[in-house]
Amino acid sequence: MKKITFTLLSIATMALLTGCGDKPKSDIVTYKYTPAEVYTATCAHCHGDKGEGMPSKKGPAIDKKTIPELEMDLFDIKNGGVGQSTATEHDVMEHNMKKLKEKGYEYDVKAMANYIYNTFNRAK
Amino acid sequence: MKSNKIIEEVLNEIEKHEGVMSRRDAMKFLAASPLAASVIAGTVASTPAHASSSAKGKIVIVGGGLAGVATAAKLTHKLSNPDITIIEPNTKSVSYQPGQTLIAGGVWQKSDIEYETEKFIPKGVTWIKESVVSFDPKNNKLKTSGGQEISYDYLVVATGLALDFAAIKGLEGVITSYGPNEVVRQKVGKNGVYSMYFADGAVDTYKGIQELIAKAKEHKGTEKLQALFTDPATPIKCGGAPKKIMYLMHDRLVKAGVRDKVELLFCPSGDKMFGVPEYHTAILEQFKQRDFKWEYKTNLVAIDTDKKVATFEKKWLEKGEFDEDLKEYTMISMSKEVEKKYDFIHITPPQKAPDVVGKSPLGSSKGWVPVVQETLQHVSFKNIFALGDVAAVPMGKTGGSARKQYNVVADNLVAIMEKQSQLPSKFDGYTVCPLITSIGTVMLAEFNWTAKPTPSFPLDPTQERWIWWLLKVYALKPMTVYGMLSGRA
Ligand SMILES: Cc1cc2nc3c(=O)[nH]c(=O)nc-3n(C[C@H](O)[C@H](O)[C@H](O)COP(=O)(O)OP(=O)(O)OC[C@H]3O[C@@H](n4cnc5c(N)ncnc54)[C@H](O)[C@@H]3O)c2cc1C
Ligand code: HEC
Repeated sequence: MKKITFTLLSIATMALLTGCGDKPKSDIVTYKYTPAEVYTATCAHCHGDKGEGMPSKKGPAIDKKTIPELEMDLFDIKNGGVGQSTATEHDVMEHNMKKLKEKGYEYDVKAMANYIYNTFNRAK
Repeated sequence: MKSNKIIEEVLNEIEKHEGVMSRRDAMKFLAASPLAASVIAGTVASTPAHASSSAKGKIVIVGGGLAGVATAAKLTHKLSNPDITIIEPNTKSVSYQPGQTLIAGGVWQKSDIEYETEKFIPKGVTWIKESVVSFDPKNNKLKTSGGQEISYDYLVVATGLALDFAAIKGLEGVITSYGPNEVVRQKVGKNGVYSMYFADGAVDTYKGIQELIAKAKEHKGTEKLQALFTDPATPIKCGGAPKKIMYLMHDRLVKAGVRDKVELLFCPSGDKMFGVPEYHTAILEQFKQRDFKWEYKTNLVAIDTDKKVATFEKKWLEKGEFDEDLKEYTMISMSKEVEKKYDFIHITPPQKAPDVVGKSPLGSSKGWVPVVQETLQHVSFKNIFALGDVAAVPMGKTGGSARKQYNVVADNLVAIMEKQSQLPSKFDGYTVCPLITSIGTVMLAEFNWTAKPTPSFPLDPTQERWIWWLLKVYALKPMTVYGMLSGRA
């Protein structure tokens, strides 16, 4: 009996692993603007042309962050928190991002983090 | 450990908890249901073990919990001449924390989750039973609590996280799930204040549920007893747990016939149930069906355990001035404190990287070890990797994530040792949250950084199912303890 069960389990595993192991291909998203275009048109307005921050708009400097730090921040901002029911650390920016998204200013987190880092941090 | 050993363990688990189904029934069930079988078998699919690399170098792993031990095991499979040291002070560090939820719900005993570290340290790996007290990554050295100075060529940081009860005014203590906890237990685990985030606390929580039931049975009058459930403003391990305990409480109250005497109120710091919209919607529906109440952006900041009053910081946004350039109103973040009386409160404590790590050169402004999210390599030190709860990756912080991460770390670390220019392995943010929605049902929420459901099985992932309950209660523990800790699954 045990042998039979195990055989069945193995067959099921094979079926499973070959059956739905592949990632869905429909996840590819295209964006209307490049990160540079989004940054210049919107972010620069509050974070400065060089990411140096803009006190009058309360936008903090983002030119000293590493790529993973920026990725964490941007993930938090776009997702409204990094967990399930955990608060975002950026509630104002989360709101801003929702508005920017409505206007078509979407971006890929990784691409934007790389853009900000390469253009403002590394350049220094 | 072979797959059939794991199946055997699954059957043993089933046998231990007869009542639900007998071993014979379980085997019949597995034989008759290819899907159930595939659930269990699919999760134990093992990787072939052949040492593929002759690379040399001394590897030190800090933290011998789930992530640390699994990484060590995997590395011993991959390297023909492994030189690995684990530094871990706790002799029960591999105990099965996800089971704490089931202890709190009265389904398991503490003995069901306890495992001796000694039995799981892979052969040939040195175990130093001390904790690390300081890191010197520039010189590839660290110091231990016993005063040893240890140098390494490669370092893996897997210290898990710290439960920061002290961050709540009125409570004291920064502890781990299995370490010493006397300070916290002065106030948590009695008088209506509970937390299953540490193992002893989970045992207490079930007592707390019984107490509340007794109180409810005596309760007269129209005002309901108040049971509060918190969810802090920091990343936490197992993001579903603050809600799971609520479902279990509900179930216990219903079974005792006193559900109508108690109000269950969820107070999360955030403004949603789940970062994945599909799961958020499903959970909201489940909340409504059970008459749960919730208040978003309501974060526990203080508690008076004598008066039984909890203080929450409530946050909201208010319209500021109109921004001419952006054609939008700017927003101002507002907050105020509100007090709530409780008869029972389940506290999910704020969580942080242990200070020894977080405030060392390895840490970051937020403590969590900054790594390249896909490769898990430290941002500044190329010979250092971090994984598990201590790593700065979004979502994560589950055993389910660690189960993917340890393979990534092992592959990439060997590549570094071999001086390869490319790191071969990538983590995609996979997390799984078996959300217990009652005693007998679970919603198996699987997802990754795309914040979309990524189900492993061809079933609607937003449904509560008995089969996932079986997976959670009978299969996941043997899978983790015998599959993952041996670096095979
Ligand atoms: C209530 C609860 C429910 C959960 N439910 C689930 C679930 O349903 N599904 C799921 O996948 N996950 C769940 N988890 C999460 C899961 O248990 C963790 O994500 C997992 O244990 C993380 O593994 P880790 O190795 O990173 O940390 P741990 O397993 O915590 O191990 C870290 C180890 O590092 C050691 N350490 C710390 N500091 C030092 C130091 N300075 N020197 C040396 N050693 C040190 C500690 O002693 C500890 O043993 C749950 C957790 C809890 C508390
Ligand atoms: C209307 C002004 C405004 C615009 C436009 C704006 N931001 Fe912000 N941003 C803020 C403010 C204010 C904060 C700080 C408060 C907060 O985090 O909620 C912030 C915070 C941030 C942070 C977190 C910084 C930190 O130290 O935590 C990042 C990253 C960021 N913004 C990126 C962007 C990007 C990328 C864009 C463009 C897509 C953008 N912002 C557009 C105002 C703005």
